[in-house]
Amino acid sequence: MSLENFASSRALSLGVELELQLVSTHDYDLVSSAEDLLRAMANKDVPGEVKPEMTCSMIEVSTGICSDYACVAEELEALRAALTDAARKLNIGICGGGTHAFQDWSERRIFDKPRFHYLSDLYGYLAKQFTVFGQHVHIGCPGPDAALYLLHGMSRYIPHLIALSASSPYVQGKDTGFQSARLNSVFAFPLSGRAPFVETWQDFEAYFRKMSDTGVVQSMKDFYWDIRPKPEYGTIEVRVMDTPLTVGRAAAIAAYIQSIARYLMIERPIRLAEDDYLVYTFNRFQACRFGFAGTYVHPETHEHRSVAEEIEASFARIEQHAIELGCDGALGELLRQVREGRNDAAWLRERHTGGESLPELVMAQCARWMGGEAM
Amino acid sequence: MDLLIWPDWPLALGALFPVAIALVLTALIGEAGGRFDLPRVSGYALAGLVLGPLALGWFDTNDLAGNRLVIDFTIALVLFELGIRLDLRWLAANRWVVATSAGEMALTFALTFGALWAAGTGTGIALAVAAIAVGTSPVILMHVTNELRASGQTTDRLLALCALNVAVSVILLKLLVGALHGVHSGWQLALLHPLYLLLGSALAGAVIAAAYLGLRRLVDPATEQGLVAMIALLLAAIALLSALRLPTALAPLFAGALVKWRDRRPHLWPQQFGSFGGVLVIVAFMLAGAAVTAGELLAGAGVGLLAILARAAGKLGGAIAFGPPSGLDLRKSLALGVGLMPLSMLALLQAEDVRLLYPEFGSRLLPIVIAMTVVLGLLGPIATRRALIRVRETRRGEMS
Repeated sequence: MSLENFASSRALSLGVELELQLVSTHDYDLVSSAEDLLRAMANKDVPGEVKPEMTCSMIEVSTGICSDYACVAEELEALRAALTDAARKLNIGICGGGTHAFQDWSERRIFDKPRFHYLSDLYGYLAKQFTVFGQHVHIGCPGPDAALYLLHGMSRYIPHLIALSASSPYVQGKDTGFQSARLNSVFAFPLSGRAPFVETWQDFEAYFRKMSDTGVVQSMKDFYWDIRPKPEYGTIEVRVMDTPLTVGRAAAIAAYIQSIARYLMIERPIRLAEDDYLVYTFNRFQACRFGFAGTYVHPETHEHRSVAEEIEASFARIEQHAIELGCDGALGELLRQVREGRNDAAWLRERHTGGESLPELVMAQCARWMGGEAM
Repeated sequence: MDLLIWPDWPLALGALFPVAIALVLTALIGEAGGRFDLPRVSGYALAGLVLGPLALGWFDTNDLAGNRLVIDFTIALVLFELGIRLDLRWLAANRWVVATSAGEMALTFALTFGALWAAGTGTGIALAVAAIAVGTSPVILMHVTNELRASGQTTDRLLALCALNVAVSVILLKLLVGALHGVHSGWQLALLHPLYLLLGSALAGAVIAAAYLGLRRLVDPATEQGLVAMIALLLAAIALLSALRLPTALAPLFAGALVKWRDRRPHLWPQQFGSFGGVLVIVAFMLAGAAVTAGELLAGAGVGLLAILARAAGKLGGAIAFGPPSGLDLRKSLALGVGLMPLSMLALLQAEDVRLLYPEFGSRLLPIVIAMTVVLGLLGPIATRRALIRVRETRRGEMS
């Protein structure tokens, strides 16, 4: 199967997908209610889409194509309100967070859809282990080569995005010590990691053809890269974020990505080089493990600084673009939290070490997400 | 030589030894059922029947009366736990769940009464059996759902409907039987007695709930001390309820629901509480079989079977009619109706209590209820288990 053509899309248009957890309000463990929730949502008039995911305890919501932060925030809020209403009727809780704190992966069920059964057969227990919840952000690109420039340029900001969204310190009932342990589940997949260093769509097509000839992949869906091109939408898709605990934070992170994209596309500040990727996995690990306190190694100067310092510096670089895009207010709030060292992982840890049991913690997560709290 | 230091021959083992053997047998039959993919409670119920007058005769109705407290306590414990799973906020948010419950109960009552009345049992018996048929066994439902670690829409509704069934069935039977026997001579009494039953149980439930929440602040329910405190609380509650002539089943159920209402946090039973409750359930089933004699079973078989069919039609019909608007698909609505089949100890005790008050009426009622609980105590759990597996709401056992 060959790669489809890169569709045209409005530059810097924005779309957000959130994978969400469905939990029982009795024990706050994951519950297989996706089918029932989707049925309840089917006759509601909401923007975007609500779709099933790999296992029956998760759903994915997505906004339509937006042009700015306000649109994303509004659509996510409408989706949240509608989902909350449906969930109350079904006596289930919905929450954010990159992992469920104490679910037992072996108890998960694969959603009844051919693709999910195919993946489950192929990956075995990895598929059930993959009950993790991420935020994906699509950015519209004027053309395929620009998309690849954006993809490689954005790769430098992966640690920033991980630290800002990290919300998965707990896995299978234990503190992993990571701020985003979710990504460790993603790395288990053979086709995860980063896209190959190619700068033109022609080269990318050649790469895809070769991979396709090996029989390893059939479509772009088989790649679990941190950022991947999505030719049928004409976008690149950033996939490293944990689902934040509130839709407000999810919208702000999407706005941050859009501002970086505008900065990269208009100023073209980076000369891409394959060696940029020498520090990539180190930086990503540091952000997953330590969040804002992690070490960030600059790909060109090799200077070491903290992820927090690097995020602050990035805000200064993109400020003008954020103002142009109308999201400087949301980013200001995000920056304030970076300065205070606050993210969702910190919030979760604070409560659990303060004596709250993990089921109670999940209940508090539900209250935050369903109540529509600010970030 | 002092003869008292040497054992007598044959050994004088007293009453304890057969009880121990019976207990082990009950547990083993349950375990054997588990091996064949049957719910363990079906095995316990079977063991109870085998040990009772029906086959071996190790226990009889005197044992049942003498150990009534054990069974009452088991049911109270289970109902308290069931109450905690009944989230009143949910019932307020989704009125169709309440409608499902009301519809299913009304249909069950009407069909059972109609069938028995048409079969010529007399109005009184038909009404009493119909009231008991409204109920669903809380002990079996909790045991089967725990065994499968079931969770999901069908499971939530099964447990909610079971709680409501118990409450309505208990009150309904008291009222009907009272009315039939002229206890309520004069309209004042006819009005006061139901009020007393309801408000008294609600008030007692509120007191138990407040005590539970207070205790929870003092001791962690997950510790041994906490366990003892909770057991003591329920024992005190049963003593108080009996003294007040209030049904021992209602107040713990109300208390559980109030606890969940006041404190939304997950109220998870500590591990030991679960195993303690598990032992109690085995003992209770072992004893419950003592109520079943061959004569009564045969006498009640015909009408009992008729009542079972009518009840099944009512529960299934109600669930299928009202399940879909409450948010279930047809398959899960059907599973809900099937899952509500079990009827067991509580029904038996309800009938037994009627017999204690009105021996003549009770001795006509009891055989029918015995026949119903024998069939629905054995097959009901299997139906519930199959239904939950079918709608994929189990987290243990068959998975895909």
